Amino acid sequence: MAKRAIPEINAGSMADIAFLLLLFFLVTTTMDRDQAYVRKIPKKIDVPLDQDVEVEKRNILAIKANNQNQLMVRGEVFSDPSKISEFILKFYQTNEKVNDPSNNFPMYSTTTLALCEQQMTELDSQIEEAERVGNSKLAEFFLSSYDEWNKKKQALKLYGKDEMRELAVQAHIRIEVQEQTAYSIFSQIHNEIEEAIFELRDKECMRLFSESYGILKRRHAQDSDPKDKSKLDLLEILYPARIIEVTPKN
Amino acid sequence: MSKFKKDGGKASPQMNTASLPDIVFMLLFFFMVATTSKETDPTVEVDPPEGTKSTDLTPYKQRSEIDFLYLGAPRNPARASAFKFGYALSLDNVVQATADGLYSTSAVSRWKKDKFAQKPSRMTAPLEEVITCVKADKTAPTGIVFDIRKQLQDIDALTIAYAIRDKGNI
Repeated sequence: MAKRAIPEINAGSMADIAFLLLLFFLVTTTMDRDQAYVRKIPKKIDVPLDQDVEVEKRNILAIKANNQNQLMVRGEVFSDPSKISEFILKFYQTNEKVNDPSNNFPMYSTTTLALCEQQMTELDSQIEEAERVGNSKLAEFFLSSYDEWNKKKQALKLYGKDEMRELAVQAHIRIEVQEQTAYSIFSQIHNEIEEAIFELRDKECMRLFSESYGILKRRHAQDSDPKDKSKLDLLEILYPARIIEVTPKN
Repeated sequence: MSKFKKDGGKASPQMNTASLPDIVFMLLFFFMVATTSKETDPTVEVDPPEGTKSTDLTPYKQRSEIDFLYLGAPRNPARASAFKFGYALSLDNVVQATADGLYSTSAVSRWKKDKFAQKPSRMTAPLEEVITCVKADKTAPTGIVFDIRKQLQDIDALTIAYAIRDKGNI
């Protein structure tokens, strides 16, 4: 049997097809990446509190912006919004090493490994008690605070010391804007907060793990290694970002 | 006399275009990998403000886990006066009045609920963790952003993202 020659396929239009596909993708896609500040919205409470929660003045860092887009940080007018991050750094760092009650910045407390373990055993018995009574909501609450202490314990282990300084629980940054404040001002405030927090965490990250916080975060976003997660948790405990966005009144 | 011949001579050699498809395919693959598909062309004008140190949402977007809403002045200026402060929301290309304006107050929460119900079953994130990204114009009043936020809070969709244009690389 003689072999038949395979007829050659004309590939001249292949380029046209490829161009068509290419153009389709050029038109329907975008190059720019979506960047944003991700924030949590607090859960709605069913029963409103009849009494306001007392917060010490020193624990509040209020950043306000009005309808004319003027900024005020802790009662001081800021004409240059890029200075806010410096103030936030001051808010975090003033009492970091030694507490000085005379200034108006949040205090730090010292957390030790022994304290974590003591709290955890206490909560353990409280969970058992709540389960015995059948109060599942209370048990849930205790369980969540148990997890929190456990997280702290793991963080301390990673920290490599017996104790660490921890920012007051109530210390927070508060954003108060008015209805007609431009979105650019609002996002700028978020930007300044993010910058300050990044700087604090980056410095600590460099010191502890000798790598940049940005790199650590990006790597975790890509391959979510549990080791990186625990590092990020530690940095979050050291410099928590507690942000309250106050709904503007009409 | 004529030293130069006008015609005849050698025909220019034919170029080999066999590798042209390869080159174009290479380009094609580059664009397929480096870009993400556009969700919609918003019907409102959005020029986001600049910022740094933001979170990159691209990985979420590629898994289409984000719901985008746009806030800006409507492209048709004649309609602007109908909206609160002249700014309109665009949900899936349908221009809505701002949260408590012309149509219905529950536009955002209804939209978000519908979106969540339509998510394919492989996405297991609960409603409170599904990111809602607000892409607002830099001149947009923040009050409207807070109206949106309130709507999301009412239905327990508790993760919001404020979109910006990042100046830095990281």
